[in-house]
Amino acid sequence: MTNLVMPARNNEGFLENPNDWTPDAAKIIAQDDGISLTENHWEIIYFLRSFYKEHEISPPSNRLFVKSVKEALGEDRGNSIYLMQLFPGTPAKTACRIAGLPRPTNCL
Amino acid sequence: MSTLMVIDQPPYGTWAGREALDMAFSLAAFDQSVTLLFTGSGVNWLRMSQQPGGVEQKSLEKNLSAAPVFGVEAIYADAAACARYGLTVENMIAGVAIASSSELLPKYTHTAFAG
Amino acid sequence: MAPINTLHILNKAPEHPRSLACMSVLQSGDALLLTENAVLALAVNSIDPGVPVFALAPDLAARGLESGIQGASLVDYAGMVDLTTHAQKLINW
Repeated sequence: MTNLVMPARNNEGFLENPNDWTPDAAKIIAQDDGISLTENHWEIIYFLRSFYKEHEISPPSNRLFVKSVKEALGEDRGNSIYLMQLFPGTPAKTACRIAGLPRPTNCL
Repeated sequence: MSTLMVIDQPPYGTWAGREALDMAFSLAAFDQSVTLLFTGSGVNWLRMSQQPGGVEQKSLEKNLSAAPVFGVEAIYADAAACARYGLTVENMIAGVAIASSSELLPKYTHTAFAG
Repeated sequence: MAPINTLHILNKAPEHPRSLACMSVLQSGDALLLTENAVLALAVNSIDPGVPVFALAPDLAARGLESGIQGASLVDYAGMVDLTTHAQKLINW
């Protein structure tokens, strides 16, 4: 971790280039939000990585984030309480930031 | 209430269509019934194997593939426009239904053209 | 006000392909509301699309066209909202 070169980030902490993402970068970004990543976090993070690879967009809002997770992983993951507990604040924003995705367009 | 979003402008040249797609996704986010119709040169959105890296844009083909995940009800392409631009089921992205614009337009309580 | 089947809200200049497409689908019982660049249709000549025509007065005024308009009833913003509430369906061209 000491030799890690942290990829460039914008003023809101999102990676400038989603392809620069590494699991170590995720841990550091998560620390900024006071989150230590568990298996449950990684499940969502890797879901978002594959979502971005397939669709080249971040889920644009919390509602669509929840909808996408529900579609892929089922109702016990795809509900707002679960995702809010894992990624406090604005879950779509927090989760996308940690997963190295661009800022969701419709999250203020 | 049902909404039909019509995209009749080609991909990549302007932002008009992306904004329409954004609006469709937002309606779907709030569980509003929304359908997309591609017509005129807009049908070029539906061509397979788009490679927009060279113009530094994200792939609309891939963006559009998120529509069913987000809850967009259906994607239609105008038959005459497809014929004009050489689009067939073989070279068009999956999940698109061929239809006639003039038959679709009267079916929705609100129809909005992009841009 | 009489109910409107479909209110067509057009904001494209007369030469715009979508303006032509709009004119070609107007049906009895519909109404046409011209806004933004579409009000220029009233400068070309008095149009007769066969349905009631309305035009947004501030858009005409902005283009120096408010006086002597024929073939359209002028509405303000409140009148535009009123029209939409009297329509069963809306098409924003």
